[in-house]
Amino acid sequence: MDKDIKKVVREGYARIANVGSCCSTKSPCCSSKGDGSENRISEKIGYSEEDLKSVPEGSNLGLGCGNPVALASLREGETVLDLGSGAGFDCFIAAKRVGKGGRVIGVDMTPEMIDRAKSNAESGGITNVEFRLGEIEQLPVTDRSVDVIISNCVINLSPDKKSVFEEAIRVLKPGGRMMISDIVLLRAIPESMECIRQSAEAYIGCISGAIIKEDYLRLIEESGFGDVRIIEENSIGKDAWSDQLLPDSIIEQFDIPPEDLEDFAKSIISIKVQAIKPIDR
Amino acid sequence: MRKSMLEILACPICKSHPLELKADEEREEEVVTGSLRCTRCGLEFLIDDGIPNLLPPEKCDG
Repeated sequence: MDKDIKKVVREGYARIANVGSCCSTKSPCCSSKGDGSENRISEKIGYSEEDLKSVPEGSNLGLGCGNPVALASLREGETVLDLGSGAGFDCFIAAKRVGKGGRVIGVDMTPEMIDRAKSNAESGGITNVEFRLGEIEQLPVTDRSVDVIISNCVINLSPDKKSVFEEAIRVLKPGGRMMISDIVLLRAIPESMECIRQSAEAYIGCISGAIIKEDYLRLIEESGFGDVRIIEENSIGKDAWSDQLLPDSIIEQFDIPPEDLEDFAKSIISIKVQAIKPIDR
Repeated sequence: MRKSMLEILACPICKSHPLELKADEEREEEVVTGSLRCTRCGLEFLIDDGIPNLLPPEKCDG
């Protein structure tokens, strides 16, 4: 089953990578329309104009819930690992922050995204970024080698979030930090909308794989992280819900009662979480 | 991939480090094609167009 989910996700994001900034999947993780709206969306979720200008063209697919706070915290010389690096947008901003003495590694399981990220790095002349084809549940990275882990709206897509956090803490240096953004739920998906959980399209759109906020934070703590804090919490909003999170086709296909839909929409939020690997681990 | 990346790469399965590099084609500091081998579990990971494929082997069927 896990393997099937990964296949669906990989194929979904391969399609997005291939169509570039004009993707057909409507979701908060893919709101690109190829009309410059990627940058408007990115500014709205907190990226500065300077950051947006500094990345190679084509690296911002308008995906994700945004992770500008994490990027702003990076310091010269740090080693940064981006889980689910996509076309490389956050990696390129991170690369500028850590400078020549630092390095950024992007891991993604979709070959098409890695290819795109690599050509973006080449076109932008960015030399302190490397991209690896790999899985975030089984990181190809040695123990205690990374200062900061970042991830932007990706971990919800993993069918094995526990392994993701266990791997994250393994590769971090003692005292290192994980700063991630993601979609979580305030309440479980109601029974009347169980069909959504089964929908591949909703999975790619970051809904079906999202888990309850408390469970998400508990998994991070159980992996051994300390000082687990929510830095920011935003509701997705009903407009974004109906237009972007779930394509109308799914709503029509499954004949979901409007009141259930509205109620469920309120329970989907994006969070930015910071957690520290204790010094003695 | 740049050779300096060997400092940080490990086998995705057994986490053994460092991986053994075999470079077939190089361009300055960059390995364009070649492979990385885990000396503990023997798994081999190909480097193609500068990108190491470090997906767990059973997942490589696409």
